[in-house]
Amino acid sequence: MKIMKKSAAVTLAAALVIVSACSSAKPAEGPQAAGDNAPKDKGAAGAPAAAADPFGKYESTVTINIGKEINPSDKTLPPGDSSENNQYTRYVKEQLNIETKNAWQAATGKDYDQKVNLSIASNDLPDAMIVNDTQLRQMLKAGQLADLTDVFNKYASPAIKSIMNSTQGLAQKAVTFNGKMMAIPNVTTESDMVHIMWIRKDWLDKLGLEPPKTIDDLEKVAKAFVEQDPDGNGKADTIGITGPQSGGLIHANFIAPNNNNYGFDPVFSAYHAYPGFWLKGSDSKAVYGSILPETKQALAKLQDLYKKGLIDKEMSVRKDASEPIKSGKSGIWFGMWWAGYGALGDAIKNDPKANWQAYAVPLDASGEFTPHMGTPSNKFLVVRKGYEHPEAALKMINLLLRDESKLDVKVSLDNYPLRLVYAPMDEMDVTYKMLKEVLAGTKKPEELDLPGYKLLKADAQNVKKVKLEPYDKYDIQYWDPMADLGVWKRMYSTFVGVGALQKPFKKTYSLTYSQTKTMESKWATLDKLEKEAFLKIIMGAAPVDSFDQFVQEWKKQGGDQITAEVDEMAKQ
Amino acid sequence: MGNKGFVKHYYVMLLPGMIWLTLFSIVPMFGFVIAFQDYNPGLGMLHSEWIGLENFKYLLSLSDSRTVFVNTLVIAVMKIVANLIVPLVFALMLNELRLAVLKRWIQTVVYLPHFLSWVILSGILLDVFSYKGPVNTIMSWFGAEPILFFGRADLFPFLIVGSDVWKEFGFNTIIYLAALTGINPSLYEAAAIDGATRLQRLWNVTLPGIVTTVVLLAVLSLGNVLNAGFDQVFNLYNPLVYSTGDIIDTWVYRTGLVNLQYGLATAMGLFKSVISFVLIVTSYVLASKFANYRIF
Repeated sequence: MKIMKKSAAVTLAAALVIVSACSSAKPAEGPQAAGDNAPKDKGAAGAPAAAADPFGKYESTVTINIGKEINPSDKTLPPGDSSENNQYTRYVKEQLNIETKNAWQAATGKDYDQKVNLSIASNDLPDAMIVNDTQLRQMLKAGQLADLTDVFNKYASPAIKSIMNSTQGLAQKAVTFNGKMMAIPNVTTESDMVHIMWIRKDWLDKLGLEPPKTIDDLEKVAKAFVEQDPDGNGKADTIGITGPQSGGLIHANFIAPNNNNYGFDPVFSAYHAYPGFWLKGSDSKAVYGSILPETKQALAKLQDLYKKGLIDKEMSVRKDASEPIKSGKSGIWFGMWWAGYGALGDAIKNDPKANWQAYAVPLDASGEFTPHMGTPSNKFLVVRKGYEHPEAALKMINLLLRDESKLDVKVSLDNYPLRLVYAPMDEMDVTYKMLKEVLAGTKKPEELDLPGYKLLKADAQNVKKVKLEPYDKYDIQYWDPMADLGVWKRMYSTFVGVGALQKPFKKTYSLTYSQTKTMESKWATLDKLEKEAFLKIIMGAAPVDSFDQFVQEWKKQGGDQITAEVDEMAKQ
Repeated sequence: MGNKGFVKHYYVMLLPGMIWLTLFSIVPMFGFVIAFQDYNPGLGMLHSEWIGLENFKYLLSLSDSRTVFVNTLVIAVMKIVANLIVPLVFALMLNELRLAVLKRWIQTVVYLPHFLSWVILSGILLDVFSYKGPVNTIMSWFGAEPILFFGRADLFPFLIVGSDVWKEFGFNTIIYLAALTGINPSLYEAAAIDGATRLQRLWNVTLPGIVTTVVLLAVLSLGNVLNAGFDQVFNLYNPLVYSTGDIIDTWVYRTGLVNLQYGLATAMGLFKSVISFVLIVTSYVLASKFANYRIF
């Protein structure tokens, strides 16, 4: 018996060696092979050229060195796991036989951006990484990118293709240069583009106030938050409105239009001011929002609020704007629907009664919410020119989109190597509506296996873990965050954050979301000019009228030339 | 020293230093060619397009250039002066202390901050000088309005210089203390017998005894004049204080690494290096003239 078993194993192993050797690969995994199933055989049978399966498993291990963005405050990895070895990397290895290695890693945000820049400048690139629009163009100019046209056509999963199509070609356009596809774009949900107001409703209730609707209400509420000791500790230590941190953006702009937490975007848009965005002027020519009178008006208001002490006195000097929110010292801030994933996760741990609610305000003079919108594609997967397996990176994206909901949501998704967000533009709105139906009992989780909406079914199964009755009330007392903080973060963000966006609003888009030729050399100077001027005005270091001087300078130092280029681009 | 074999050992000992210098200081110097190119990292330094002095022309047309240059100079000169005077005064005061244990204890305590990085210290400083931090709290006892220290362009250079002195004076004191121990004690005894007071002894014995050290350090720091301290400024500044706080190094960093304008950043860096070079040569000439300090 024993001998027979052994010889069978040997024969099998030998056969496998021969088969895989034929298909031009290293005989890597004799012993592991016996336990593997269908996709393996399929892969082994065909030559690599024919095996254009979006989910096909390599028969010999493919290694990919990536530049990894890590979240230093992420504590969800189980002991022993690392950003290079965790449930996601193991899943990629197991499903695709791709071994991911971190060529380097850097903290999310500024650090990561600079590490990418350094990689580009030194021409020392990982096989693949996620970059932004500016970096994509820089790499293109430097000829560092692999042409992914064929790879995309052959290997992109139907789900990815259909989501990209849902942007009416915007995603495709963002990465196509001279007819070639030079990167894989992400697609984010529309909700990611709209900035809303988050406010401590428990403070409002305590002081007997209504949620603000207009700028005037906002001022009144912020004043009460600062002066009437809403946290009841007997000290005048509360902040009305939190502002951007050191290095943060006062407002989003056409290069970084989405996800600007702690900026003042909704305040600007209440005045129909869209600084940082390219708009169509009255003569239907392109014009830059930052130099328009509406922006001056909004800045004057912000200066007024700051002077009165209603905006965090230490905005833009503070190293972390979320800190006073987490510690329960701040009452209002502007940001994204996904706040649950951000500061609120910690805020709720520190104070279970912190009832943060979201509203699509402040409204403009005619009572409308008029936010600026972003672009569905703002992150790009790029592959280094000369990397042997450009399709490997794309396969990893395919896999994540297909199986995201099957993986343990407790471990932060940030740990997925080469993560790119793929969400149909209406994903969060659909999720919100469907989950409401689930709670109301009119839909069952099983019915929600909709193609493309990858997390919907899992959400529907989980929602009742953290949502307490009555199901149609979303104040914090109707939640049980500690039952499963991971699920709560998503559900709270969905019901409160996305819920705030369920009314019609007037959308304003930028004429362009990418750079023109002259911007490559001159934009940095103009951008600095603007940031400095605006910050000084808001914080009272310069009078409001210094705005006019800024406009002159801006035009002179290349602004006019760039405006002409944008105008030209927008006509095409 | 006439022994030739003995000298050879010296050269061997020099080797690691030379290798280090070549690899990390001399080889990277060739990167300056980027300043004359429309640098393309994909093509590298050898194949990028040459554009002559274009980067320098654009640099000079920017109002930023003047600002950062002036800021660098102001901050650096202030730092050099303060870092000469404060440790000197402190060393003289320590030297007058007769209690050896106390002296050593003070010495240890004041030089501790030298070992902390600016990343850590900046966090502490921002807190200490924050709106509701200890400094503002104390000032409020005297009825002063709270100040956002690190948001004030007029205060920023002083905060930078002050915190740098605070971090380094303990360490710099050591050099002076070492120089002080080199003074022949019999001079003090002679002065005491002649009836000199303590102040007279300080003035007529101590100071002349260390004056060469002071001059030497002053002259040597000239070569460093354009290094106003990247780490420190970078960790403490924000757009509000760019007008007085942005220095050449932080500007180069933002332009080159954040905004990907390599040529422009290198041009500015090269500009700085050339001026630094002139200053080092000057300081060397001065050092050999006044302090009789020579390398060659």
